Amino acid sequence: MIELINIRKVFNQGRPNEFVAIGGVSLSIDFNKATVLRGPSGSGKTTLLSLIGCMARPTSGRITLSGREITSLPERFLTEIRQKTFGFIFQQFNLIKGVTALENAMLPAYPTGEKHASLKKRALHLFDLFNISRKTASRVEWLSGGEAQRVTIVRALINNPSVIIADEPTAHLDTKLSQEFMEIIARLKDEQKTVLIASHDPMVYESSVIDRVVNVRDGKVDEAA
Amino acid sequence: MIFHPSILALYVASLLISFMVLYSASYGVQILRKWDIRSGSEGQLILERKTYLISTLLTYAFGFELLSLFLFVFTVDRLHTFFVGAMCAAGTLYVNGFGYPALILKMVNFLLAGLWLILNYADNRGYDYPLIRTKYLLLLNLAPLILIEMALQANYFLRLKPNIITSCCGSLFSIGEQGLTSGMVALPITPMKIAFYLAMALMIASGLYFYRKGRGAYLFSSLSAITLLVSLVSILSFISLYFYELPTHHCPFCILQKEYGYIGYPLYVALFGGTISGMGVGVLMPFRNRKSLSEVLPLIQRRLTIASLVLFILFTAVVTYQMIFSGLILGE
Repeated sequence: MIELINIRKVFNQGRPNEFVAIGGVSLSIDFNKATVLRGPSGSGKTTLLSLIGCMARPTSGRITLSGREITSLPERFLTEIRQKTFGFIFQQFNLIKGVTALENAMLPAYPTGEKHASLKKRALHLFDLFNISRKTASRVEWLSGGEAQRVTIVRALINNPSVIIADEPTAHLDTKLSQEFMEIIARLKDEQKTVLIASHDPMVYESSVIDRVVNVRDGKVDEAA
Repeated sequence: MIFHPSILALYVASLLISFMVLYSASYGVQILRKWDIRSGSEGQLILERKTYLISTLLTYAFGFELLSLFLFVFTVDRLHTFFVGAMCAAGTLYVNGFGYPALILKMVNFLLAGLWLILNYADNRGYDYPLIRTKYLLLLNLAPLILIEMALQANYFLRLKPNIITSCCGSLFSIGEQGLTSGMVALPITPMKIAFYLAMALMIASGLYFYRKGRGAYLFSSLSAITLLVSLVSILSFISLYFYELPTHHCPFCILQKEYGYIGYPLYVALFGGTISGMGVGVLMPFRNRKSLSEVLPLIQRRLTIASLVLFILFTAVVTYQMIFSGLILGE
């Protein structure tokens, strides 16, 4: 279980442009479930995802992962947790241009020091699983939106993380591709992955794949009916 | 005051080190008073973030501190040409009353800074800041010493007057003079040789025992410190004689000069490096049972032991080689 205890995140604290992005959130997220953080733009969904995914530190409060407190961890330990526990799917894909789809997908695994051959084998298997094997050698700028989305999913899964974090994953996808994405999420759930999605797309939060919807507004959360 | 590039470098370095240590010590006080890892308060999280900055600053500060000992000795050695009577660093240090106290304090701070770096290295390998209080407590004790060192060094350099006639190492480290150094110089050579090799042998044996069994860390650590003292006295008593091939020249500084291939630098680096590593093994010992360090600490201690043994053995090997192949034959 991921547990957030009275989390606050304030940007530019003490300055005239101080902004409270998250204001005292306590929340428990079960493993092996798909949870959606639903809310309008600027509500604090992405900030909350960044905090849970160890990409940012809260201003106050603690986060525990399987009972282990992670907000106080020194950076070297956070890096390890990010590598092993979380896979990220970003709204803007964040793929590196000029590099092939295969290389993009394998990048997060390079710091682990795994042998290139076994890493490539795993990446190719994932490309095959998501039906984009023919695009492995293509540069990412040549890919369509749906293909780029799948490459980011492969990249998120390359280190076999237990938690997948997706920030507005359908923002740049049409209806058909969004449906395909939700099918992929269903498949990930079947593989006992925990899925955490920030979205205000009804196709996401109304999907039968989703187990729980948490409303986020003005940096506060409340459980959806 | 002499405007020499090395003196200016030492000034700037000591000012920077003092500033960084003072800045860090102020956070050290807050950490010692307010640190509570169980709390998720804003203040605690700020301290957790700050400790990265402090740790990085101090790593550089104490890195400079280690280097500055050798730069200080190099500088005073180079300056001996300015003073009538001085032949090496020994004479330059004797120009005023601040030279030798500054050197001794630099040596003490060198050891303490090295131990702080070892504690910091170990602390950074634990996920819950296991040594945070210990390392900041050491820092708070070290801070006044760093400031005194800065004051002594500044006073020493500011009071260097080129018209002063000083003493040469031949008279400062000779038998018959009053003082501690003369007493050490006058120690009988054969018992000193026995003491030197016995100290080395015991220290190496205890180090190997700790490396293999994981026990006897405090013994090894204490013997490392004792070996440093015995070795420094041995340099005065008999080791220096073999390098100079003169039965009456006991100076510990002339071996830092070009005529002797600057052999003093690697010798002192090996001696002090070996001591810090050896003492570090004992310093880390009380923390082996901390959960977050239980796996990593034995590994660090083993590495320190190896480093210490290699450096001490290197020191002994160079000294022994010189004793065997020196043109000087000592008989008592």
